Amino acid sequence: MSTTQAELDLVSVAEEPGYQRPISLFRAVMRTAEGRIGLGLAVFMLLLISVGRLAAPFSPTAINVGPPIAGPSMAHLLGTDDLGRDVLSRFLYGGDTVLLVPLAAVTLALVIGGFLGLLAAYRGGWVDRLVARVFDVFLVIPALLLALVLVAGLGTSVVVIVLTVTVVYVPRLGRIVRGAAGRIAVQDFIVAAELRGESSRWVVVREILPNVAGPVLSAYALYVTYGIIFVVTLSYLGLGAQPPSSDWGLMVSDSQAFISFNPWATVAPALGIAAMSVAFTLVADAANRQLARGNDRVGTGV
Amino acid sequence: MSDVQLSVDGLTVAYDRPSQQPNTVVWRASINLRAGQIHGLAGESGCGKSTFALAAIGYRDRGAIITEGSSRLDDLELLGMPARDLSRIWGRRVAYVGQSASTSLNPALNVGLQLGELLSLYLGLRGEKSRRRQAELLDEVGIPDPSAALHRYPHQFSGGQQQRIAIAMALCGDPGVIILDEPTTGLDVTTQARITAMLKDKLAGSSAATLYVSHDLAFLSTVTSRLAVMYAGEIVEEGPTQTVLQGPRHPYTGALLAAVPSAVDGRQVVGLPGRPPLSVVKDACSFAPRCPLSVERCRSSHPVLENANEHSQVRCFRWPEFRHRSVAATPRQEAVRTELASPVLAVRDLVCVYSQARRPAISGVSFDLAEAETIAIVGESGSGKSTLLRCIAGVLSPADGSVLFKGESMPPRAGDRPRTLLSAIQLVFQNPESSLNPRHSVADIIRRPIRLFRPDVSRSQEDLEIRELIEAVRLPAAMLHRYPNELSGGQKQRVALARAFAGKPDLLLCDEVTSALDVSVQASVLELLTESTQQTKTAVVFVSHDLAVVRTIAHRTLVMRDGSVVEEGNTDQLFAAPTAAYTRELLSAIPTVKPDAEAHATPA
Repeated sequence: MSTTQAELDLVSVAEEPGYQRPISLFRAVMRTAEGRIGLGLAVFMLLLISVGRLAAPFSPTAINVGPPIAGPSMAHLLGTDDLGRDVLSRFLYGGDTVLLVPLAAVTLALVIGGFLGLLAAYRGGWVDRLVARVFDVFLVIPALLLALVLVAGLGTSVVVIVLTVTVVYVPRLGRIVRGAAGRIAVQDFIVAAELRGESSRWVVVREILPNVAGPVLSAYALYVTYGIIFVVTLSYLGLGAQPPSSDWGLMVSDSQAFISFNPWATVAPALGIAAMSVAFTLVADAANRQLARGNDRVGTGV
Repeated sequence: MSDVQLSVDGLTVAYDRPSQQPNTVVWRASINLRAGQIHGLAGESGCGKSTFALAAIGYRDRGAIITEGSSRLDDLELLGMPARDLSRIWGRRVAYVGQSASTSLNPALNVGLQLGELLSLYLGLRGEKSRRRQAELLDEVGIPDPSAALHRYPHQFSGGQQQRIAIAMALCGDPGVIILDEPTTGLDVTTQARITAMLKDKLAGSSAATLYVSHDLAFLSTVTSRLAVMYAGEIVEEGPTQTVLQGPRHPYTGALLAAVPSAVDGRQVVGLPGRPPLSVVKDACSFAPRCPLSVERCRSSHPVLENANEHSQVRCFRWPEFRHRSVAATPRQEAVRTELASPVLAVRDLVCVYSQARRPAISGVSFDLAEAETIAIVGESGSGKSTLLRCIAGVLSPADGSVLFKGESMPPRAGDRPRTLLSAIQLVFQNPESSLNPRHSVADIIRRPIRLFRPDVSRSQEDLEIRELIEAVRLPAAMLHRYPNELSGGQKQRVALARAFAGKPDLLLCDEVTSALDVSVQASVLELLTESTQQTKTAVVFVSHDLAVVRTIAHRTLVMRDGSVVEEGNTDQLFAAPTAAYTRELLSAIPTVKPDAEAHATPA
């Protein structure tokens, strides 16, 4: 070969017209209008539930700060509920559990389910079959029924709710990780790593994980949405947050009796829940669409 | 001429680019397809041949714009025809078979249903008549027991048979024009030979005009009567196949020919450095940067396609001066088989059985390999050649027999082998898309084996070592920061080789390492492999289904079938005088560019 080889081969795919370097998940999301709206809404909701309470005129649990069941007025912008509590203050305080409980639970579910899924995909054989069957068993139990049984048996503390939601989502997220990792585990670079004598930990953490992180993270965002709706449902049914908490799910359920007198007591928390889930869904959707278009080429830097 | 079925004239295709001028990929290309003739279209990947073939029948890829030209089917202009009218022509009058045509079969429907649907759509055949025709079609493409095959599903056929069924589907409307886009690439030689024979048989006598698109010149030489060579979206040479291949007038055709390995004389292949430009070059000769003959004029003005004689055309300023020299059969450096008493690798009665398989994947294979020697293992897919390689590498454990490395037996699984052994035996995979982690940079890919296998290299020296390795496989150091999906197939395979050489192996196991590559790229990877292993005296086990490649690089050859050794011997002797009937069958299936003027097809 001549020396021109090196010069000519300098042109790699990266210089080709139309080639796009893999982009970070954040930039992938920001590229679409839905992604920008979703991310904007998510930031707004985060601010609302974290620092919004500083603007609350009353304590969320103080009763009789105004007349019971009154519509909006200058003193109570969103009116009051049946115990004379200020709806606006309750609304500003009640968002944190709606987000934090599902966030904690789904994160925990991702860690446990992700570990099991990676283990199953990499080990294969009977380990894979066992993990997959256990996931299947949990998947056929209706989520709400499982939650009812666990809460009835263990009580309604935050820890129990978090663990309940975790148990519900471990097989769901685990299945996604197992599927994504299964496609990677059969690639030749895994065999190449084993032939180098790499440890299982190296293979899983350095070879497989970076290749599944993108799709798994966008699934995670979507499952946080499901988690929000699930936790709110539990609160609405009286299994989650307990009075006098101002949890939005509980607020919706409590205020139904007087909805025709002060609809804001129902509408405000309902809107809050909707905004939160829509924000996460939009972000997850935008990420997913970019992943699909970029042939899984989206990087994992967030 | 009246027998012209499809006349493509001045076809120009461009791809739309956001906020830029459209990227022209095919420029003013013309071709006439005549009844009963198979017309070849050759060129490297990325030269625009598939885009041209598709655009010629009015199909536009996503984002593609046909900016100029015409394509006439009899009196019908296909370009610019509304999609509704085109869909009535496709299938009935114009058929297209793509590279992975088997993916066009619906896995959920049996073959009879799929053929029946088309027969009723195209010819209005139903009921018993349709069933008879379905069986006939399958019979014509050589599917055994056609009436029973109609009830089977695509996955119950082999890859070669699926491809035949896809061809049967393309032929069932009795089209006047057939476009075949690499329909046999990826199938093994004997299957390829059978499909080719079937196509020749079926098409040469018919009134159909066929365009056969392929990068494989040796293969095109056996089926086509006319040949067009495409480079950077332009036809650079066109003429009767034998004229073009025996006396190429364009330096590009000559370079492509030099890259084709030959099973006849085992000459060295010569790689063609670089890659074709990604868009049409309109103000210079597009081949000039890679051309040994290029002069100032080639870089400043664009050559036209001129008549070389009444049958042939060529696009080169200097074609009268160009003389193609077939590369002399330079004898391989014979490995010095010093003491066979201490071979690098000794395989003894190896047996490997997959669980749930009825017969062992390999049964009783033995061979020796000396230092600096290359042994090729050939056979059809399913012959057990890759399994054998994986047993030696320690990916699979053998059921029986032994593998001795430098006279000592090794633990069967790689995981139980000491690090020194792991570094001494390196496996290079068939598909670099799969063997390089897309999330690791080239530098990291090469760094890892250095860190594990080279205690003599300190951390601060690593970068220097990586740079040496990447330069040894002739890639610029700038590539180190790239990720695998930013490299071309040939570049990726070079990175894989650099990774294998990082541990300074004594034994290199190559599993079909060039079968995913273009002929020109294959040639340079083979050159590189031969050169590096001879320098380092590395022993090589080279698994391949391509006998021409084997002839080019292997000292000895071992022929496998159904898990057993059919024949073993010195490559030159084995190719010259095969003793086993199976070897003869394999050898006769290889398409070869005939070195002397032995008319294979009649010039039209």
